Amino acid sequence: MSELKHYFAPTSLDQAVECLKDGDVTILAGGTDLTPQSQAGRIKFKHTLMNIRHIPQLSGITLEGKEIRIGALATITEIMEHPLVKEHLPVLVEACDHFASDQIRNAGTIGGNICNASPAGDTLIPLLVLDACVELASMPESKIYRHCMPLSTFFVGPGKTRKSLCELVTGVRIPIPGPNHVAHFYKHGTRPALDISTISIGIAGTRKDGALSNMRVAFGAVAPTPVRAAQTEQALEGRTLDEAVIEQVAAIARDEVQPIDDVRATAWYRKEMIHNITKRILGHVAQA
Amino acid sequence: MNVAEKKHRVIEPDSLIGKRIPKMDAPEKASGRTRYIHDINLSGQLHGKILRSGRIHALIKSIDTSAAKALPGVHVVITAADIPDQRPIGVAKDHFPLKVGRVRSQRDEIAAVAAESEEIAEAALKLIKVEYEDLPVIGNPEDAIKPGAALIHPEPHGADGTHLHLKQGMSIAHKGKPDNIAMRFDYAHGDVVQGEAESDVVIEDTFKLHYVTHCCMGVSGMIAEFDASGNVLMYSNTQVPFLHKREFAEYLNIDPARIRIIQPPIGGGFGSKLDIYPFEVICLYLARAAKRPVKMVFTREEEFLASPTRQPVLLTLRSGCKKDGTLTFRQVHTLHDNGAYTSWGATTPFVMMQTFSSLYRVPHCDYHTAAVYTNNPYAGSFRGYGNLQATFAIEQHMDMLAEAIGMDPLEFRMKNAQDAGEVTGQGMSFKSCGFKDCIKTAASRSDFSHKFGENQANQKKPGNIKRGIGMASMLHVGGGAKIYPSDGCGTILKMDDFANVTLITGASEIGQGSETVLSQLVCEELGLPISAITVVNNDTAITPWDVGVHASRTTFIAGNSAIGAAKKAKAKILAVAAKKFECAESDLDLRGGFVIRGDSGEVVIELSKLLRNLHFQDKAELVMTTFYYEPPSVHQDKGFKGDVSAAYAWGTQVVEIEVDTDTGFVKLLKVTGAHDVGRVLNRLGIEGQIEGGIVMGQGYAFTEDLIMQDGVMKNPNFRDYKLVTAPEIPEMDIAFIESMDGEGPQGAKGVGEAPAICMAAAAANAIANATGVRMFELPFTPEKVYRALRGQTPKLYWKPWRAE
Amino acid sequence: MSLKHDIEFTLNGVRRHATVDVTMNALDMLREVIGLTGTKYGCGEGECGACTIQVDGVSLNSCLMFAVDCHGRSVTTIEGLTNDGKGDALRDAFVEHGAVQCGFCTPGMMMQADHLLHKHEHPDEGCVKRGLEGNLCRCTGYKKIVDAVVACGSRDTVTPAHAGVQK
Repeated sequence: MSELKHYFAPTSLDQAVECLKDGDVTILAGGTDLTPQSQAGRIKFKHTLMNIRHIPQLSGITLEGKEIRIGALATITEIMEHPLVKEHLPVLVEACDHFASDQIRNAGTIGGNICNASPAGDTLIPLLVLDACVELASMPESKIYRHCMPLSTFFVGPGKTRKSLCELVTGVRIPIPGPNHVAHFYKHGTRPALDISTISIGIAGTRKDGALSNMRVAFGAVAPTPVRAAQTEQALEGRTLDEAVIEQVAAIARDEVQPIDDVRATAWYRKEMIHNITKRILGHVAQA
Repeated sequence: MNVAEKKHRVIEPDSLIGKRIPKMDAPEKASGRTRYIHDINLSGQLHGKILRSGRIHALIKSIDTSAAKALPGVHVVITAADIPDQRPIGVAKDHFPLKVGRVRSQRDEIAAVAAESEEIAEAALKLIKVEYEDLPVIGNPEDAIKPGAALIHPEPHGADGTHLHLKQGMSIAHKGKPDNIAMRFDYAHGDVVQGEAESDVVIEDTFKLHYVTHCCMGVSGMIAEFDASGNVLMYSNTQVPFLHKREFAEYLNIDPARIRIIQPPIGGGFGSKLDIYPFEVICLYLARAAKRPVKMVFTREEEFLASPTRQPVLLTLRSGCKKDGTLTFRQVHTLHDNGAYTSWGATTPFVMMQTFSSLYRVPHCDYHTAAVYTNNPYAGSFRGYGNLQATFAIEQHMDMLAEAIGMDPLEFRMKNAQDAGEVTGQGMSFKSCGFKDCIKTAASRSDFSHKFGENQANQKKPGNIKRGIGMASMLHVGGGAKIYPSDGCGTILKMDDFANVTLITGASEIGQGSETVLSQLVCEELGLPISAITVVNNDTAITPWDVGVHASRTTFIAGNSAIGAAKKAKAKILAVAAKKFECAESDLDLRGGFVIRGDSGEVVIELSKLLRNLHFQDKAELVMTTFYYEPPSVHQDKGFKGDVSAAYAWGTQVVEIEVDTDTGFVKLLKVTGAHDVGRVLNRLGIEGQIEGGIVMGQGYAFTEDLIMQDGVMKNPNFRDYKLVTAPEIPEMDIAFIESMDGEGPQGAKGVGEAPAICMAAAAANAIANATGVRMFELPFTPEKVYRALRGQTPKLYWKPWRAE
Repeated sequence: MSLKHDIEFTLNGVRRHATVDVTMNALDMLREVIGLTGTKYGCGEGECGACTIQVDGVSLNSCLMFAVDCHGRSVTTIEGLTNDGKGDALRDAFVEHGAVQCGFCTPGMMMQADHLLHKHEHPDEGCVKRGLEGNLCRCTGYKKIVDAVVACGSRDTVTPAHAGVQK
């Protein structure tokens, strides 16, 4: 019935990337996406099921130079409760708090979230506006090869990423925001959590003496992947926020997105919410 | 013995009535020990699975089950061809369990498999090959009644195309229909033409009520087993075991005596288990063919796809009043999407009529409705049974009429609310009636009038957050509903040598706490603690007949039945004691496990000792009694008039909300409820029923929406069908109006459905109060509210249609 | 033939073995392989919380966990929760406050509530509501469940079990 012939639980990163060489591997991390998808038949198992939960290099949340490194196996709960994250990346805590339910937060991993590449992925929006990079590992020949890729280039389609079948996401690295950093996240849905967002918005940047710079704006649930909004960012760059500027930027945001109609909302409503909520968030930024 | 004399005692210090009594099965449930149907496994059982249609509306050209039958582990694969004497099921007998010749909806059952495991059964389903020929899909009732519309149940034709003339009296499943009309109802009292002529204000609006579904946390399931003599044992979560016993016998063509139904604890009912569904009959067919027990349990997706829904309604209401505030007339037309086959949803007009004719005093009323076949899911019975839909329209018009004549909405309602002693145009006799008290209590506790005015004044002011307050009331049966030949319930009561009571009742427990309330009533009568009683209520081989759990009837009817049996037991005990202690029976009473002197409270003898004396004497006797209670209600006549229930119940809810006009999101802040319950029996239990009903009503009003598109269900899962979650619930202030019904057990009336009924209506009134915008369609999701506020929602108008 | 795997883990305080299909979820393992039916199937997709268990001290949905992932870990189900004093106090609170109607959501609710009470000693109503956001109930409207958890959290000491109903 199934293709699955081999179950493997490596205890080192080397073992894991070696197993991945032939690419015929289904990866098991927290299981919160793989379990229901495979039970429903939406994902078919490959030849090997590899359980990566015992690989030490994939866990932990640490300070490494000017970056915070979050291991791929860090659960959403571990992330939102970690002192380093709470201190330096409060916008990520905010997104985690609105993620699914406590039970799912306790088991779901950031690596799994990133690889699942949902267009509405809650944690992905703050990671994008925080300039996160994805750590990847593989064994192209006989030695392990590790490199990082900016998250903003990682997503290619719903559920699709630039990760090849021979690669493993080992963690995510986030530069510690500098002084005068502002960041906001908003998820629009009908409940505090346990909800796939109708739209979500992340805005971050530097605000010094009223002027904005290094702006990052990301939207969720309005495109096939979580996206950075280049036009909106450009419209904010160097500006000082007042009512007229905010309205102008909100209109650009609305026009920039091309959402679809689905069971959760229509494209028209999503555009309206992008406009109204961008306006609301910029209002908070202006008052901060 | 006739209906016993009802005395209303003053509550004594040790009375159980009105106390907070924990549910008797709660400790087991909270330990994870309760075995629901999903947890029961019989030795040698097989697993049953159903192949559902791959099309919405199509002819079945062929079914090839050979590959499925050949799969190792598969015992039986059946289709309609294997059951040539298959009988149609359901309210209108238009529904074959295994489909014959065509499929009419997404849930249609084509074939079924019994196999060693669920995995093998699922794999076997995938191997069944079906060829279809598509037919045009009818996705809404308006299309179904257009000239030239495809017929959902066409009359069969011979191979040469000629019309087959089938026997008179054959069911619709066999002989089809010349049109798509499943059921019609017409009701009238008074003369609406006259009523309209007397009106100073007349308004007319169309309301659209949507699909929602029960979402019991425990999915549907059944286990069927034939024994060596061909008797059937079914483990079933039916709410009507005795009716089902009779019906299943018909479908299996055996004597009803050979059918035994055991009801395991149920994971929620809410009316979903009042009809017979194809999966149940199919499970029996599989067990019969396989000669092994067959267990069938739905997946959650299947639960969404294949369960009955609440009845969706398209409703046009025309109402009028005089400028002094007197209601004059209501004229109602409704169109019901009957789905592909008929279930109890088609009969919701019976209940809706009661609201149209009798919620507030209306001298003239007429109501016409048709249920129309489509390729959608069929609706069943669901807590409130049409009353939510009717009240949504009526209570919005109450606000709108008041506004049109410039009268305060509270005053308008009080002017038209009935009092005890009134008989309505439909013949409902309001012997106990707490209607006005409900309105006054809910209004004063919520500070309704003051907030209503304040919010109205705030509508046009700047600021995106708008507060609103809205009121709605409901009327529902509270003493059963005489729709079957009998609306009664039987009880058998026995006492053992230690003064422990076994109460054997026909009334089922579906999570609403009936076993605890019945125990409470019996213990109150016999002066015993709750711990002294065991309830047996789940086996048709043991329990006496009860018509079933519906119409909020269990406390009232099973309660009176239990009290009847308990009173007989008490009379016997006191007669024995009086003889033994040479005094009058009227000198004695039962209290705290003793026989006492009624005037002083002085103990005469311990009850258990008296019972042992009675048992172990030369002429041995036990205390065993029986009682069958039939309520003094009547069947409605052909015009649907009559006093259909032994009592009626009212409730008023005031809903407070906050609307974010930038997003359309409505936050439900508070619900203030006043419910006329006759008398509070188990305070803990009744609060739980009301709180649960309020939140169910909240879901109907704001979050739940089963989205159908051309017959396809777009959200058969909890991810996109939104039940209310814990952080969303409102503050709840619930008051009880104890109108002390003369017929009710200890004065109580039924309340199971009431709290869900007027939430959506009150919410609509609250949104209008907050924003000045009226919403005529449910649910009030953020997008729908946002669109309405931006004038993006064209006003719906359905022109009433009458078939010739 | 489906691929099987042997695992060893601690279940409700007792070390044991199990042989499971590699593709099986933990919920099916508990109910069908081990025979503990207290943990319920509600949706199979992590949207209802009826299948909540505790693994290594945190609550999670057993329908979203692979059975093989139990290897080497400590698993607690409702049957294990109500075996010790702390679980009894929570069960008594549920019973006394009327937090149980049909009871189907109750095991999952209690497992999640127990985890919540371990993380937050005296949670208020808002904290409890957010903590239970992943557990659906159709009968109670949640209010009495929240009351029970808040009451349990405000007890200073763990009281011994008082199973059974009030007189």
